[in-house]
Amino acid sequence: MKTFLQWRLALRLLARDWRAGELRILFIALVLAVAATTSISFMTDRLARGMVNQSADFLGADIILKSPRPVNKTLLRQASAFNLQTTESLQFASMVVSGDALQLSSVRAVDEQFPLRGKMRTASASYVSDSETHSIPLPGEAWAAPAILSRLNLSTGDSVTVGSLSLRITRVLTFEPGQAGEVFGVSPRLLINRIDVPATGVVQPGSRLTYQYLFAGDKTGLDAYHTWLKPQLDASHSVIGVHEGRRALGAALERAERYLGLGIMIAVILAGVAIAIVVRRYSERHLDVSAMLRCLGLSQQALLALYLMQLVVLGVAASAVGGLLGWLMQAGLLAVLSDLLPVAPSTTGIQPFLLGFVTGAAMLIGFALPPVMRLKNVPPLRVLRRDLLPMPGNAWMVYGFAIGTVFFLIWRYTDDIKLVLSAMLGAVVMALALFIVGFALLAVTRSLQSHMGVAWRFGLNNLWRRRQLSLSQISAFGLAFMAMLVIALVRNELISTWTQQLPADTPNHFAVNILPEQADAVQQLLASHDIETTQLYPMIRGRLVTINHQPVRTAVSKEAQGDNALNRELNLTWTLNLQKDNKILEGRWLNSGDTKQPFVSVESRLAERLGIELNDELGFTIGAQQLQARVLNIRSVQWDSFRPNFYMIFPPGVLDNLPSTYMTSFYMPAEKKPVLGELVRAYPAVTLIEMDLVLAQAQRIFSQISHIVEYVFAFLLLAGLIVLYAALTASQDERLYEGALMRTLGASSKQLGQAHLAEFLLLGFFAGVLAIMGTEAILWVLYSQLLELDYNFNPLLWIIVPLAGALFIGAAGYWSTRKVKHQSPMLLLNNS
Amino acid sequence: MSANQKIIRVAASGLCKRVETANGLLDILLDIELKIHAAESVAIVGVSGSGKSTLLGLLAGLDLPSSGEVHLDGNNLSMLDEDGRAEIRSRLVGFVFQSFQLLPGLTALENVMLPLELAGRNDARERATQLLARVGLDARLTHYPKQLSGGEQQRVALARAFAIQPAILFADEPTGNLDSTTGKLIIDLLFELNAEQGTTLVLVTHDESLANRCDRKIRLDAGRVVNGIDHS
Repeated sequence: MKTFLQWRLALRLLARDWRAGELRILFIALVLAVAATTSISFMTDRLARGMVNQSADFLGADIILKSPRPVNKTLLRQASAFNLQTTESLQFASMVVSGDALQLSSVRAVDEQFPLRGKMRTASASYVSDSETHSIPLPGEAWAAPAILSRLNLSTGDSVTVGSLSLRITRVLTFEPGQAGEVFGVSPRLLINRIDVPATGVVQPGSRLTYQYLFAGDKTGLDAYHTWLKPQLDASHSVIGVHEGRRALGAALERAERYLGLGIMIAVILAGVAIAIVVRRYSERHLDVSAMLRCLGLSQQALLALYLMQLVVLGVAASAVGGLLGWLMQAGLLAVLSDLLPVAPSTTGIQPFLLGFVTGAAMLIGFALPPVMRLKNVPPLRVLRRDLLPMPGNAWMVYGFAIGTVFFLIWRYTDDIKLVLSAMLGAVVMALALFIVGFALLAVTRSLQSHMGVAWRFGLNNLWRRRQLSLSQISAFGLAFMAMLVIALVRNELISTWTQQLPADTPNHFAVNILPEQADAVQQLLASHDIETTQLYPMIRGRLVTINHQPVRTAVSKEAQGDNALNRELNLTWTLNLQKDNKILEGRWLNSGDTKQPFVSVESRLAERLGIELNDELGFTIGAQQLQARVLNIRSVQWDSFRPNFYMIFPPGVLDNLPSTYMTSFYMPAEKKPVLGELVRAYPAVTLIEMDLVLAQAQRIFSQISHIVEYVFAFLLLAGLIVLYAALTASQDERLYEGALMRTLGASSKQLGQAHLAEFLLLGFFAGVLAIMGTEAILWVLYSQLLELDYNFNPLLWIIVPLAGALFIGAAGYWSTRKVKHQSPMLLLNNS
Repeated sequence: MSANQKIIRVAASGLCKRVETANGLLDILLDIELKIHAAESVAIVGVSGSGKSTLLGLLAGLDLPSSGEVHLDGNNLSMLDEDGRAEIRSRLVGFVFQSFQLLPGLTALENVMLPLELAGRNDARERATQLLARVGLDARLTHYPKQLSGGEQQRVALARAFAIQPAILFADEPTGNLDSTTGKLIIDLLFELNAEQGTTLVLVTHDESLANRCDRKIRLDAGRVVNGIDHS
């Protein structure tokens, strides 16, 4: 047949099927798959890029290279070759002098390009409202952190000396990109112009300096540069990317991104299942047409081509509609949230649609092609003998195609091979388990049938007789329930975690360097303004020097040798109170019996990085003193809780005689800001760290990602409902035929209705049992492996879900088969 | 004529069936009058499109006439709703179809059990097994329809039709899908069962030899009865 004629015939057949309503569900499932995957993936992409941008704003750059010496100029030249912007800054510790008063400060010298990302904020005086700044200190000028001014009792306009250079303080520096990661124990900042560095005379051979090279550019350039840069570096260099820059929000954002990834995965699987169910029905309904066409002389190839053409047209149309819909939805949602969320601009151009087409095509090939391919094998003799069926499709091909498609799409959307592999393995295990458990449920229930009423027995017998279809329906319902449950429970867990994590009164200020004798007075001062402080923690700076009596540098793995924890002093503390958000992973927490015992509690990630295990002996240098302590427990810390947290915690009585200061944190509403001034004037040694801006932003972001999570949730509920609908209608042809036959044999509509109701109640119940089993298994894996949340077993769900499943499927099934009850028995005579 | 034969099992009066088509109303059956007695066998014959199957459907209460009445064993079907008619069918009526109409997902035994289960009979399995043995399929109880030949499928259908010991059996071209040898065997079986159970038989057929075995032929032409030949 000529191609043109073939296309014409294909389009005509398609139009007829469309008119007959055969294709609507297939079309809707495809549109949904494409819309869900495109909108969620675009949202993920824009959010991820937005978050990276925002992190970069906090860091002041996309990448920072730190080095104790100036780096080879080729490193910088190479950066321009990758189209990256570059700026250098120099950081050193120095005494800032005013008259007789001295203050150890961290001086940072920057040039005009600083910062490459984000903005500095300054104010005209301490603790007054600040604003974004687009410049840097002029030569001869300096911007000082509030702590310098308060400790030296200065105000803007006064002069200070750094080395041999006198500088006039023109602004108060309230925020500087790149500062957020290192809030504790850092001397207050003095920002100067790089031109002034030589004149200070501070930079001498042997001076402790940190050269910072800031880079910014597009992702391609950055990735390429990063790859090129790595082998050029030695142990003295360190590279900080945006992911390291934002520890505070990192975990939350990562979880949100993973939730979106999970959402895509579930959308793909659900839509795939819906398509598979619908196409199976489609192909069965087309057996007669195919046999007739073969009978009329169409070759197998031509017949296949005819169906493929129809699929192509359908796929293109559904992908176009779905792509557009998905794009519009994400654009709409993110436009509403863009003021509050770090949303990157949408990628313009044709990309969204291409992605939609790829999804639609892949779904069709994976889920629709195998059943349709089977149509070409219909024996033409079927026109005479309707019971002749084509050979069943090769199971490997059918499932292989479907699994391959899901694999491809999830990998394409999440770019996380570990996630994909574990999800696929989980899905295969789950499918097998579903099938086995479903079969067992049917068999067990069947053995109980002598105790049931007539309608129940009849319904159960129907399920058993059609057990293959019943099992696939139970699996489909179970899968849809499971997907909806997982996504709902994870949503609840995430949102409650986020709400609990940063409640409205989360401490937003830290006070450190509180002298022991002033600790009570500081608390009282704050309390007099109705500001409640958290526990006071003693703070001692010490260095980890040995692990099991070996110097740390040789005791740890090669990768860990550059670890920050080894290169700087750690904050040590002692307490018997375990912070609420800390958890003991190994060993036991300290009790009063441990007082004065040389024990230490170690933060889990640090322990993992350095290979520290329970009962290891750790050696510390604190000032001039040496201290040995045995690891009593490994403890996880929620670093994004904004509470004081420590890597190392000792029992009381071990460090008490060493010189220490105290720290605390407190929530201070904006209108009480002036109290800060009062505090530092009264206790100039105290360093205040203002986290209110960061925290407020974090809270806002949490609430907004919660919105997105809700959106994904709603979308997936829709996908789940479509699967349910497809699965409900899957058996409708058989039921219509059976209904007619049963009515001919004298069944009343009540009998039919009761049998259907019993059947669907049982189907829903079994599906609910499978769903809750699967859900618990999936959640356990998700929480422990992917989202790092605590898994809580919920026994109530084991009752609610099967009952809800029975009620829902019972009602929906009863409703969807109402036609069957009234099917005219004449159908049988007309068919003869 | 025995006493049994005086009972009227099936009666139709003024029966019309009219359907709407694209070209206006079409009369399929016009003013049919007939009476069929207990244990009588009647063949409805006529060319294709003469309205045979429609008449069978109306007589069996599978469909409702546009006008006129059908009485089955004294029950006026027109006065009953579909459930009422189903109830009559479950007690009185058996069916045999040209294309067998067995449920493909059910075994031979389960297919025969179905009407018995619908009637709430507790001995469904035993009765169905006996009947399948009667039609010579005792070795095929657990076979599915697609594992059976056409003749065997029709025998299962016969066993199903006689399962509830119907007063009236309606058959629509029962040999239409079978070769002549197999068809003859099925017909022999049908008449044997009919005689054993004293069933009233109403069948639609093209097959003149089959029609000739019946007590009476009702010939339809363009929706009207043109003659009723009484072989008895």
